[in-house]
Amino acid sequence: MIVIKGIGWITKTEYGSIIKKLQGNYNDLKSLHSHLQHESVLKYAIKNFGRFDAASKMTCCSIALALNDAGITYSEHMKHDIGILGTNNNGCFESNLAYFKDYVSCGRTIARGNLFIYTLPSTPMAEPAIYFGFQGPLLYIKFQHNQIPSMLHYAGKMILRRETSKMIAVEASEEKSVCFVLGKQDNTSTMKTLSLEDIIDTIKKISDFDEIVIMLQRKGAM
Amino acid sequence: MTGTKAVVVACDIVTPYGWGIDSCWNGLLSKKTAIGHLDRFPTEFFLTQNAAVVPGLTYGQDKSIVIKMLKPLLQKNISSIPEDTFLILATTTGEIDKLERHVLNETTDAASSRPDKLLEKILLLCGLGSLGIVVSAACASSSIAVAHAAGMIISGENDCVIVVACDSVSEFVFAGFSSLMALDKDMAKPFDRDRNGLSLGEASGFLLLMSELRASRENRSVIGEIAGWGLTNDANHMTGPSRDGSGLAMAIRKALKSADVSEKDIGCFSAHGTGTIYNDSMEIKALKTVFGNHKVPVYSIKGGTGHTLGAAGLLEIIIAFESLNKKIVPPTVNLCNIDNEASGWVSSEPLTVNGSVTISTNSGFGGVNCAVVLKKY
Repeated sequence: MIVIKGIGWITKTEYGSIIKKLQGNYNDLKSLHSHLQHESVLKYAIKNFGRFDAASKMTCCSIALALNDAGITYSEHMKHDIGILGTNNNGCFESNLAYFKDYVSCGRTIARGNLFIYTLPSTPMAEPAIYFGFQGPLLYIKFQHNQIPSMLHYAGKMILRRETSKMIAVEASEEKSVCFVLGKQDNTSTMKTLSLEDIIDTIKKISDFDEIVIMLQRKGAM
Repeated sequence: MTGTKAVVVACDIVTPYGWGIDSCWNGLLSKKTAIGHLDRFPTEFFLTQNAAVVPGLTYGQDKSIVIKMLKPLLQKNISSIPEDTFLILATTTGEIDKLERHVLNETTDAASSRPDKLLEKILLLCGLGSLGIVVSAACASSSIAVAHAAGMIISGENDCVIVVACDSVSEFVFAGFSSLMALDKDMAKPFDRDRNGLSLGEASGFLLLMSELRASRENRSVIGEIAGWGLTNDANHMTGPSRDGSGLAMAIRKALKSADVSEKDIGCFSAHGTGTIYNDSMEIKALKTVFGNHKVPVYSIKGGTGHTLGAAGLLEIIIAFESLNKKIVPPTVNLCNIDNEASGWVSSEPLTVNGSVTISTNSGFGGVNCAVVLKKY
């Protein structure tokens, strides 16, 4: 059976996790990065964090919160058989516009490579894969409806097909992110887990992000 | 898992060699490249003025390039696509030329370049009412999409899935790759000792997969089987591959295990083979790690078609099935002086395929790797 082992979330001003019931406020993503490092949620600094686009920053921080929630440790020298599936509404639309407007403003003579690399919808998943050492499958999927439940269902199927042993399923945009750690149920572990099917059923009729977080917090408190 | 097989029952492509699989296959066998001078947009400030584009498509007017490729292709084949087919669209930038036009002269709505908008159009072009998804994983987008289509069939989730893949040569992408110094000044020369970068290309295509049971029930002729796959990430660098090829080697091993075949069963190998120094070197290292002294014939089609980005995987899988069914390993176009590292693995001449199993691989930005095992049916 596939279960949810940890959940992390971020809005523009708040962050938290579900199983360890962490919650706090922050001013900007740079200060959140420092704060999460201070709290050992991030084990070491994320290289070039300041250069990431907003979606990549949100993704990295929500994954750190979710891994911490799941009690999964990592280090600079360890790699893990963990896959990552990302989704959102717009792909990398904002980064596409920023890159091409910058290129046109330079007289269509030179583009910025550092902006170009964020014009792939999968880049916000690639940055954390490098930092956390995820060696499993990496992909972005745009689902037509029920974004988060569809993502969870899809990530669960990838584990059942033995493509990887654990999956990070993350919805991230410039303004919000929620991340789930999925894995097979381990009957020898004492860590609390949540039923994947129950979470999918609970959130599939909710479209508002804040309401989803409140519902997840209720589930985590049970 | 149901124990059923995922088989390919229909496919078609448009490439810089022209419309249809035969034009691409014959172009590769002729050893002539489809890479040539690019006149779609100003290129004088970039590393190269060359790319591989589909002949006869007008850039920067009304419809996007990918729709100009896909509309005739899908309309021609619509009778072979059942109404209950699930759609997976694979692309990296889709209709990005619409965003270009918005920024340059505000003639289009920039949001119309989003991949979900393209998905809606492709559903209509395929005559499908059902849901679909967009898969994007850099240059492995469509090979991962094909792997997952097979996974949906083998697990019993769906019994008919179509993968549609597309990407175009645009100013947006051309300027970006030029800024990364990834383009060869002349043209891509995969596995050549004088290689110095990739050439951009464009293509579109589709692959229709069914469960073996349904294909048999509908009397479909089977092109081949998607027998297994392996997906990994280097977790190493955003734009460069892991130098030792360990990530790709892991993907190939996973794919072999998933297909329940050994390296000795592999008759030939379709490499990503972009023509960049680091990619091709990494791939040969991965091959040596997995195959050891058992040298299999390796080829890349990108010296002919250019690097078609998100469409590359699907295009290469279709050519790999052609290779299996015709028992010919296509030559690596533009290969003149084989790199020492690749000596004995790649060839500028066509060879005979010994075996009924092949592997097609792709790697991309963010360290993504995909290996797909294909079997003759």
